Amino acid sequence: MKRLLALALAALVLSGCAVSTTTSVPTVPAQVPTPGGAATAAAGAPPAAEQCPDLLASPRPLTPMPAPGQMPAGSTMAKIAQRGKLVVGVDQNTLNMGFRDPFSGQIQGFDIDMARAVAQALFGNPDAIQLRALTSDQRIPALQHGDVDMVVRTMTITCDRRQQVTFSSEYYEAQQRILVKKNSGISGPDQLAGKRVCATKGSTSLATLQALPQKPVTVSVADWTDCLVLLQQGQLDAVSTDDVILAGMAAQDRYTEVVGASLAAEPYGIALPKGDVEMARFVNGVLDRVRASGTWAASYQHWLFGLLPGPVPAPPAPQYQD
Amino acid sequence: MTAILTSRPVREASALARTTPGVLTALALLLVVVALLAGLFTSLSVLARGRAIDDLATRSGPLTAAAQEIYRSLSDADATATGAFLTGGLEPVATRQRYEADVAQAGNALAIAIAARDPADVTAQDSPLGTLARQLPVYTGLVETARADNRQGLPLGAAYQREASNLMRTQLLPAAQTLYRGEADQLAADQDSATAVPWAEILLALIVIALLVVAQGFLRRRTNRVFNAGLLVASAAAVVSLVWVLVATVSATNNTSDSRTNGSGQVDVLAQARIATLNARADETLTLVARGAGSAYQDDYVKVTGQLTGLLDRAGALATDPEVDRDVQAAKADAQTWAGAHAGIRAADDQGDYVTAVQRATDAGPAGAAGVFDRLDRDLQGAIDRTRDTFGAEVNDASRSLAGAMAAVTVLAVVVAAGSALGIWRRLRDYR
Repeated sequence: MKRLLALALAALVLSGCAVSTTTSVPTVPAQVPTPGGAATAAAGAPPAAEQCPDLLASPRPLTPMPAPGQMPAGSTMAKIAQRGKLVVGVDQNTLNMGFRDPFSGQIQGFDIDMARAVAQALFGNPDAIQLRALTSDQRIPALQHGDVDMVVRTMTITCDRRQQVTFSSEYYEAQQRILVKKNSGISGPDQLAGKRVCATKGSTSLATLQALPQKPVTVSVADWTDCLVLLQQGQLDAVSTDDVILAGMAAQDRYTEVVGASLAAEPYGIALPKGDVEMARFVNGVLDRVRASGTWAASYQHWLFGLLPGPVPAPPAPQYQD
Repeated sequence: MTAILTSRPVREASALARTTPGVLTALALLLVVVALLAGLFTSLSVLARGRAIDDLATRSGPLTAAAQEIYRSLSDADATATGAFLTGGLEPVATRQRYEADVAQAGNALAIAIAARDPADVTAQDSPLGTLARQLPVYTGLVETARADNRQGLPLGAAYQREASNLMRTQLLPAAQTLYRGEADQLAADQDSATAVPWAEILLALIVIALLVVAQGFLRRRTNRVFNAGLLVASAAAVVSLVWVLVATVSATNNTSDSRTNGSGQVDVLAQARIATLNARADETLTLVARGAGSAYQDDYVKVTGQLTGLLDRAGALATDPEVDRDVQAAKADAQTWAGAHAGIRAADDQGDYVTAVQRATDAGPAGAAGVFDRLDRDLQGAIDRTRDTFGAEVNDASRSLAGAMAAVTVLAVVVAAGSALGIWRRLRDYR
């Protein structure tokens, strides 16, 4: 039947009875590209801001601290020492906390210095370390599955997270603020009503944004630099997260600036598998040394001085449970 | 009804029909009409078959190749651009040139694919050609932004590269895949219509021959002459026409079938194998670029290389040309070497030795992952080129088989009609 039709058609064409149709050129809207996994959500119900006493209290450091290569038998440290590498979940996208230097291909930054200090204490070698890049929402699952020994990735200590992981003492205190384009006219959270604001999935910044009374439209992405990409492409009005992360973005794009008062304090801790108190004691001992020896100040001087306003601050004072 | 049947013209006509001259006139008319109609139908159907074969040579064949080229060059461009972020520092000149060549080739093949279609095909909703045409410039823009940021030492560059890769993997490559499947299906459909058995043509030719036999039997009974020159010539022409159509069609059909078994059928499997190779290489690179967060890519690598093994086995079983078979065997061996190299990369990366893992992944030596991948890709390219040449040659042969058949059928149909009319006209004159 199809062939008969084709033949009939051929006969029609041969006899010159072809019907001509016109083609119009439709207007096609441009489709903007998005980073993988980007999602937009209207402001939801504010999550119950849980309060817990002694949020920042962590197990007291080991005294005396074991020397490198002489970890107590049966401890997590001994297991890591036997493996020969400390596996750390880090960020490779956040200038200057944890980022991949395009020139050398190495991951480096303030967070990485902290992780290397732990490797130094374990092995006597800061390079006995394996860095695994994680996105914000991969941090807790990676610890729970045992993919990494610890996470040093601009991770805020919260009550919620303390139920899933064990935190070290606080090693840095950031403040959540807002990054906007210089000509945006936005100078604080009050002007965010109805605006599109970006944060990473699984971050405290996202939860804080969703709880704002101005109810901004939140856009969630995998990595912090994805927010800057979207801001540059005009798909966003603002990015909101910790000042140290925002300062790293502003350093990469001079048409942006960090504005407004602090929305929330963000104390950073090193996350460890839930309940590993001995390891937490060891890491806290390392952090104590880092604070006391001037390593902390040197690291700040190297990575964050000039990026953040003001002189090199004193490291946050540790709080212990007992 | 009876009024009509008994009316004068009808009565005269039926009276005439019962006379010998009446029957002869009717026979002559019938033969002329049937012979000419059969000739018209047969020549049109030969024309349609010829068109299908021409389409194989000028449309569906080249377009399938173009669609496959679009997929290959896009996939390779993305793997190359992403891979430039593996090693630190400025990208090697060869890497940049490879990316540029891929983008040029993708644009070129896309232009060819679009030129062969009507505008409506491009403007249609979800048209793969429309997606490719609109998103390819966006993709290259993102890659260049990534490159500019990378040159200033900004981690932002990697984020632009990720966005570009996401666009490639979620929009461009699926569109290229859809386009390729569509063109490959069209090619198969053209082959089907070029290899259909010409039942209708045979039946019509047999009817004409049967009518001629009946006419000659009738004439012999009524006129006592054994032979009628006109009808004999007509019969001979009808038989020649039938044989001509049969020989031309059978030959064209055979060539077209060969173009599938020795050509396009193998090209399809080989092209899929090549696409699997490219995807596996992209996965290998992206796993390392993701730095520990890339288990999804590694899972995809395992899946894709599994498919690759199956496809290479199928290609080996289908191969009819010893040289193609040699290429496929070489590809199988290289795929195995590559699996070994990949295991080495994973072992190093899983033990935390990222630098060694990257070195192994970018090693262009004979046993290094980059070197083996290039060789495997070349093996497949060689096999594809060879089978594609075979396809072209078979299609040309098919086209040649049909050459002249249409003209011959038309002339012979006229001869049948004229011979029948003249032959019967002679006998009719005897009745004057």
